[in-house]
Amino acid sequence: MATQKIGFTCAYAPVPIIEAAGFAPFRVFPETDSKDQSGHMLHDNLCPHVKKVLDRALDEDLPELEGMVFINSCDSMRRLSDAWQEARPYDRTILLDLPSSNTDASTDFLASEYKRMLKTLCQWNSVDVSLDNLKSRIDAWNSLAQTLGNIEHAMGHNFYPGLSSQYQKIINLTAMHSVDKAFLKAKEIDLDKMSPQKGHAPIFIFGNLLFDPKVFNLFEDWNMHVIDNDFCTGSRFVNSVDYDASQDLFYSLASSWMMRTPCARTMDIADPGAIAQKIVDRAKSCNAKGVIGFTVKFCDPYLARIPMIREALQQESIPFLMLEGDCTLGSMGQQQTRIEAFTEMLEV
Amino acid sequence: MMYDYFKNMVDGVSQKILQDPDSINAKKKYVLEIAKIGQKLYTRDERIAWCGVTIPFDLLNSMGVTSCFVEFVGAMLSSNETAPIFIKEAEDSGYAPDSCAYHRAVTGAMLKDIMPEPDFVIGSSSPCTAGLAVMEDMARRFKKDFFILNVPQNNSKESVKFLTDQIKEMTRFITAHTQKPLSMEKLGRALEFFNESSLILKDIYNLAKQTPSPVDNKLLKDFGTVIGLIMGTREGVEICQAFKDELIDRIESKKIDPSKEKIRIMWIQNRIQYKFPIEKMLEDFGVKIVVDELNDVTWEPMDPDNPFESIARRIISIPYSLGTNERIAHMQLLAREYKLDGAINPCHWGCRQGTGVRGLTTKGLKDVNVPVLNLEIDCVDSRNLAQGQIETR
Ligand code: SF4
Ligand code: SF4
Repeated sequence: MATQKIGFTCAYAPVPIIEAAGFAPFRVFPETDSKDQSGHMLHDNLCPHVKKVLDRALDEDLPELEGMVFINSCDSMRRLSDAWQEARPYDRTILLDLPSSNTDASTDFLASEYKRMLKTLCQWNSVDVSLDNLKSRIDAWNSLAQTLGNIEHAMGHNFYPGLSSQYQKIINLTAMHSVDKAFLKAKEIDLDKMSPQKGHAPIFIFGNLLFDPKVFNLFEDWNMHVIDNDFCTGSRFVNSVDYDASQDLFYSLASSWMMRTPCARTMDIADPGAIAQKIVDRAKSCNAKGVIGFTVKFCDPYLARIPMIREALQQESIPFLMLEGDCTLGSMGQQQTRIEAFTEMLEV
Repeated sequence: MMYDYFKNMVDGVSQKILQDPDSINAKKKYVLEIAKIGQKLYTRDERIAWCGVTIPFDLLNSMGVTSCFVEFVGAMLSSNETAPIFIKEAEDSGYAPDSCAYHRAVTGAMLKDIMPEPDFVIGSSSPCTAGLAVMEDMARRFKKDFFILNVPQNNSKESVKFLTDQIKEMTRFITAHTQKPLSMEKLGRALEFFNESSLILKDIYNLAKQTPSPVDNKLLKDFGTVIGLIMGTREGVEICQAFKDELIDRIESKKIDPSKEKIRIMWIQNRIQYKFPIEKMLEDFGVKIVVDELNDVTWEPMDPDNPFESIARRIISIPYSLGTNERIAHMQLLAREYKLDGAINPCHWGCRQGTGVRGLTTKGLKDVNVPVLNLEIDCVDSRNLAQGQIETR
């Protein structure tokens, strides 16, 4: 199993490509005790996701990395890529451009960016590009996606104490170790041996990042059943890739990443603001009694869409609670009263 | 309200020009032309497109579309002191106070129904994510078709091709709404005007580099961004020429006061839009803004035989679209060419794109011995202005 790590910060960096180049993935989560100093290099009004990741870089709070993959997903992220080069000038970095519209041309372009990513990573690792390797890593990824899908399905129908936290641990393993390891862990979950419980409020949660498994335990303590989720550190992270022999593999990858449930920064130009309706539909289809949005402060892509999401949920009379945080467990702790009041109001 | 505002401006400035027809009147002619665009945007039978900042307005003009970037409205509302009303409206409706006030003002204007309804909306990923979000919101609220120009940051062959193809696609999108196909002849003429304007702009900026510089703190305020709205027209060429004439006249008639130029500085990104006497304050200290960061010709001449690719290359060359290293390299070049003593970065609140790299910019300019004063100010929303503090700094 590969041990040399490639760091990345955005869910639009496909783990199968990292693995196909013979590296292990390492998503640099904004989780650190490093001192808050990134604001000097960037600015304090950038999102804590980006700032904390840079704090880790400045403080050497990272494992040994063979390089970093950045995605031009939003201004803050591209600024992170710029600052990283200053903070760790000896690191190899690559920035992939990510189109904002989900058109065919965008998918074609993203396919060429993903191809560039594999080529670059293979160069860094002094190995040849192998499409067979890529195929086999995509197959492994698809198996994991399917297994995670089964867990999501179970979570969507019953409340199993502790399951959402375990699910999050598996996603984190995928992001920080390997797809195979995550798959084995996922397979260990035996739903037949778990007993569902009643009484928790079924809630759909969405936003940008929520990756600490302990947060999900807190939610349970606060009477919440995470019936479905839409986070780039959650269900959006692992999605299966449809490919067949007739199609370019990179195109298949790009189309899977472009067409999956988008992050707020990716837009459906045929239906501007579609994110709002998608959240309503998702909340309805999982029978959520309420919706909670979590975003980090200063995140333009999400904050700009919250009013339209609020409006759409209101129209359907779906209760909505919006929370802002800074990616820490502490900031989530401060939300306890509001979340408890919200779940109580739902009268389960 | 906005129609009257622009109409009054058009009438007032036209009259002033008539009163003194023999003067060069560069600034007045410029304000008149920009106000005319404002007036057209609020006129019913025009084809209107609301756009992002880096959209090729020469191309849209050649297709008979009156177009403008939405931040222009934010700036206008700020300059006529009404922005706080609209910003408050946006905030009361749930739009985050932490975001860029250009966009909060535009959003508030939309909510209060004073943004004219467009025929379609074209956003661009450059300069900023927040700008693109407001364009999406606009398309949604007005229920209009939406197009996005994705501007890659990497300046590679593939990126140029991607953007070129999108520009071609954009012309088809526009045609679908106007029922008028693109005339290559009209586009060719627009590009010729654009090239002519660019050449004169280069002359203007070269004149501004002189010591003492013939500019004053206000003359070329936000010029590089706003002139893009008209560069592909005959009027654009005339206005550029008027500015060049104005500078030559100042030099020849020795109207330049060297005591107002003890310190030569650059203004980074955009100026403060509301009434705030920063230019006067600086002048009183003998500080002259000899260059605005975005006042530069960063592109090669447009090639009428290869129009879409040259437009794509132009968009990618604008400092907004660049990675920070290249952007800083561009500022360092300006620092050398303009013999700068310092720079002011307003650090416009909420701008992740520009303000987001405050520290890197400061360091990059310090590396070439240009100290930067970071103001930490909101360039559009005057509500929290701490004038005394700024004066002291
Ligand atoms: S999408 Fe939001 S949270 Fe993620 S990097 Fe961009 S601004 Fe930060
Ligand atoms: S100031 Fe910054 S955030 Fe605001 S419109 Fe300009 S680039 Fe975008």
